[in-house]
Amino acid sequence: MATIAAPITDRPRVHRSILSPVATLARRRSQLTVRTPRELLVPLLTPVLFALVIAPALKEALHTSAAYESFIAVGTIGLLVPLNTMFAGLSVIVDRAAGAQRELLAAPVPRPALVFGNLGVAFAVTAFQIAALIVAAVARGIYFDATAGGIAWFLAASAMFTIGMYGAAETLASRVPEAEEYIARVPAIAIVPWFLGGSLFPISALPIGLAWLARFLPITHALALMRYGLLGETGGLHDIWGMASAQTMAWLSLVVVTAFAALLTAVSVRIFARSALR
Amino acid sequence: MTNGSAIQVRGLLKVFPGGLEAVAGVDFDVWPGEVFSLLGPNGAGKSTAIGMLTGTVAPTGGSARLAGFDVATEPLAARRISSVLFQDPVVDRPLTGRRNLEIHARLWGVPVRQIAGRLEEIVEAFTLAELIDRPVGTYSGGERRRLEIARALVSEPAVLFLDEPTVGLDPRIRLELLDVIARLRDRSEMTILLTTHYLDEAERLSDRIAVMRAGRIVASGSSGDLIAALGDQLLELRVHGDPGASLASLARAGIAGRDAFAVGSTLIVPARDRGADEARAAVASTGAEVLSAVQRRTTLDDVYLWLTGDDLVDAA
Repeated sequence: MATIAAPITDRPRVHRSILSPVATLARRRSQLTVRTPRELLVPLLTPVLFALVIAPALKEALHTSAAYESFIAVGTIGLLVPLNTMFAGLSVIVDRAAGAQRELLAAPVPRPALVFGNLGVAFAVTAFQIAALIVAAVARGIYFDATAGGIAWFLAASAMFTIGMYGAAETLASRVPEAEEYIARVPAIAIVPWFLGGSLFPISALPIGLAWLARFLPITHALALMRYGLLGETGGLHDIWGMASAQTMAWLSLVVVTAFAALLTAVSVRIFARSALR
Repeated sequence: MTNGSAIQVRGLLKVFPGGLEAVAGVDFDVWPGEVFSLLGPNGAGKSTAIGMLTGTVAPTGGSARLAGFDVATEPLAARRISSVLFQDPVVDRPLTGRRNLEIHARLWGVPVRQIAGRLEEIVEAFTLAELIDRPVGTYSGGERRRLEIARALVSEPAVLFLDEPTVGLDPRIRLELLDVIARLRDRSEMTILLTTHYLDEAERLSDRIAVMRAGRIVASGSSGDLIAALGDQLLELRVHGDPGASLASLARAGIAGRDAFAVGSTLIVPARDRGADEARAAVASTGAEVLSAVQRRTTLDDVYLWLTGDDLVDAA
């Protein structure tokens, strides 16, 4: 029998705040992300192609105004955010199948910290990509009519939409066992709503049933808010709410997108905590 | 309530969806500084038991405490004083070994100003200096295992879980790792719970052994205690014929009791003052051919095979 030491009676030092482990986990995730550049670059390709090549081509072919290029440039953010967050969600499956997820689950940190660490990096990468898209669009000559207040609306809408979409990605990653199954579901979550959400044309151009459906999609509210912020254009908000006051409609859409973000984040934390344990 | 044990397990139960009872309400205590092994075949419930103690498997019932902290109601405190080496590789392969160790240190709350010094010590102790700044994906299996053991020790755990630490390694690396783990025994303040299906590992490293079978602990004690349960001497007979019928014949002759068993065509019978010649005669009377019959000392292997096999005397 080995020497019997005194039993431990002192309470061990545990993290008092969730911020410290979230920072460690976010740093870990960012280091893993920069080692796989495809996670940074691939989601950017299609939206940049849309903003810089397809939108000007459509404008030329359909004889539309320069405003259509700006309309599409913002619409492509509605593709960029879901694609990027879905790519980020894939890393959760990689972590579970061939990474350190079980070590992290055995760590003395609250389980939501694992989700928030991933979310922080997905958010930062998406912000970088949106900035890159806007810089590229401006360099291409696409015009944005943004005020300080407008930029605030744009940032709030894109932030909440990104958080909500990452919640959807994390939830899906926790629910499906294999990367192949995850990838098969990405088009339904990232691309179909994008076509219906007023990205390429106003939702008023949709058949009436689909127009009603579009009003319930978070992407519709997010894009309408982004256009309100960056272009000063209220058509999208009016198509949803039909009110006279742009500010009121903007606040209502922001509530919708924020509720989407809060709900999906809460769901993703809950699903992760339950599914990560066998 | 805790009784001063480093690990206290009471009625721990895990039933997976579909009704598979992986751990069927086990009880055991591991005392501070002790090395305790859970020994059993694949599927016996060893890893599931460790999973419940480390918070990676949700228990269906029962309770467990690490150094007095309930793993269900005080999970952060329980996880803070423990570390685990998983059966499969659980590392961030794209990151360097050093970064893997740093992440563990930070998550386990090692004070930031102590991390560099702690890593230096552990890198030297585990001779990782040549590897530590390379991505873990470039390590061999043995190197990665050494890194994982080092990582588990960075936080200086009071309780260390080693889940099949040498499984899948080549014999040379396995022996080297056993030396590493044996040295950990010298750290008298650390309690180690080891799972393995290698008997030599359990015998060499453990103060006490619990044998698991089908989710239950079927015996526990020191290796000497376990061997004593089967007796000091065994008769080993290799037969050509039905081993069940041969065992039944030995039972009728009063040579074999409920602790006799067969592995393939080999019969193992506690000697109890009966000789190999008597056993040979009893088996031959059934028409089976006895290829060899010897009397020898009991080993832990025999105890393991007895405790984890089917009861052929009853079946016969």
